[in-house]
Amino acid sequence: MILIGNMEEFLRRAAKWLIEKKPIRDVRDWGIHFSLWPVHLTTACCGVEFAAVSDPKYDAERFGVLPFVGPRQTNFILIEGTLTRKMARAARLVYEQMPEPKFVIAMGACAIDGGIFWNSYNIVRAHEILPVEVFIPGCPPRPEAVIQAVMKLQKKIKRGDYYYGVERED
Amino acid sequence: MSEEGYMLLQIGPQHPGSGHMRMLVKLDGDVIVDFIPDVGYVHRTVEKIAETKLYIQNIPLLEKPILNDSGNANLAYIIAVEKLLDVEPPPRAQYLRTIMAELSRIASHLYGIGILSILIGSSTGFMWAFGDREIFIHLMQMMSGARITYSYMVPGGVRRDLPDQFREEFRKAARYMRRRYKDYEKIIIKNPVTRARLEGVGVLSREKAIEWGTVGPNLRASGVAYDVRKVEPYAAYEDIDFEIAVREEGDCYARLLVRFQEIMESLKIIEQALEKIPNGKILAEKYEKMIQPRAKKLVEGTGRIKFPAIYVNLKPPKGEVFSRVESGKGEITVYLVSNGSPKPYRLRFVTPSFRNLLTFKNLIPGHRLADFPAIYGSLDYFPPGADR
Repeated sequence: MILIGNMEEFLRRAAKWLIEKKPIRDVRDWGIHFSLWPVHLTTACCGVEFAAVSDPKYDAERFGVLPFVGPRQTNFILIEGTLTRKMARAARLVYEQMPEPKFVIAMGACAIDGGIFWNSYNIVRAHEILPVEVFIPGCPPRPEAVIQAVMKLQKKIKRGDYYYGVERED
Repeated sequence: MSEEGYMLLQIGPQHPGSGHMRMLVKLDGDVIVDFIPDVGYVHRTVEKIAETKLYIQNIPLLEKPILNDSGNANLAYIIAVEKLLDVEPPPRAQYLRTIMAELSRIASHLYGIGILSILIGSSTGFMWAFGDREIFIHLMQMMSGARITYSYMVPGGVRRDLPDQFREEFRKAARYMRRRYKDYEKIIIKNPVTRARLEGVGVLSREKAIEWGTVGPNLRASGVAYDVRKVEPYAAYEDIDFEIAVREEGDCYARLLVRFQEIMESLKIIEQALEKIPNGKILAEKYEKMIQPRAKKLVEGTGRIKFPAIYVNLKPPKGEVFSRVESGKGEITVYLVSNGSPKPYRLRFVTPSFRNLLTFKNLIPGHRLADFPAIYGSLDYFPPGADR
């Protein structure tokens, strides 16, 4: 491929190959698992408990989790409770705008399978539209549970047990 | 750009200052010309699916729209069901309900104050209010066992008796909150930045507040002393002496102050209720005797009600009732129609945020864009409540 002369393409591929190799990959995963930035999207009433997660008693900032403004600068989306049809469209749009790698946590019974609103005509199951990494049961889950889910996600990332981007080729 | 040359700005639903909704703001420079709230992002069809659930199953369902004030939402529904069933809860249960409703109001107000503070850029206000809210959540957790969704009241009474340590814990909490209020006064209320952002912004005149059907602290901040607790006393409010917090100014700052004043009043109400609370049963006689003999021992020992089997098949007679309570955000009304089956025929659940939406829509035009979050926060608007 060097002979053909497309140096840029070659280097891009080489970097991608290299980053998947053992030591560099570990360093990358270690870095990602400390910087999970959730996007500021409150989908339903579990947002009340998610607000409590960043309050002084629970203080999720200890784990590097603090809601940030734009989807372009975040890598983590927390589905807080029910997704209505209208909100599901917004959640999907926000998810697609986020850079790779990105993670999804579904919070609350409603995000798992509808919860108390299971027979409502206006809801969407979160796992039908987004690839969810961790589910949190409860209605609403306690802030401790949210923090535990974040820690589980961090462990998962550290193990390298996640899907890195749509461009991965092997 | 719209046709008239105004800029159309879309805020939300993914925005730190939008909550669960989208707002379409038409701007001329940075003055808001028109404002269209795009609601429906959290419309979960509560009223429709309430018709598919049993009366007892609707208790947790109706807490969900007003999650940060679920004690009062619970009370509104239970009063309606009790009117249908023609059951009168014992006096002790009435007092316990009052305590629960007031604790819920304090937590709701602190939530509103925290959100308003973060929207006007005061992180300290958010941290303080949310940190202090945890104390009252702890108290409610002692009473009901849950953090946010209490489902404390059931038709005919309440689920649990007052725990032994509650009085001591509440005394501590009240002392703390009163001391803390002085700090709030120094750092948040009299802060020049807070005053500059809130004073004279979003002025809601008395006439307009009445015309637009504003409810709750927003109405009282405009000089209308209207409170359902006084106008149509429910639970144990008749025996309790308290004042309605009223301000005349009607701006964002007055709405903040009314919330703080109401927190202080609520502390007084709970103190009085704890003093006056009579001894006795916590479940109506009609249901008390239906508890199985084996479970009765448990109820007497722990003060926790084991539901009698009748609750599964609660069949109120035909009829329609209307109930209203004053929640932290304003008046909640429930209209319930029964056709004699174990499920409601129709349940209309009007939340304070739904009624404040018109005020929100009409209040915004004419202000600058920078004032928009201050007005939004000061109205304590909670989109899941408005969309239901």
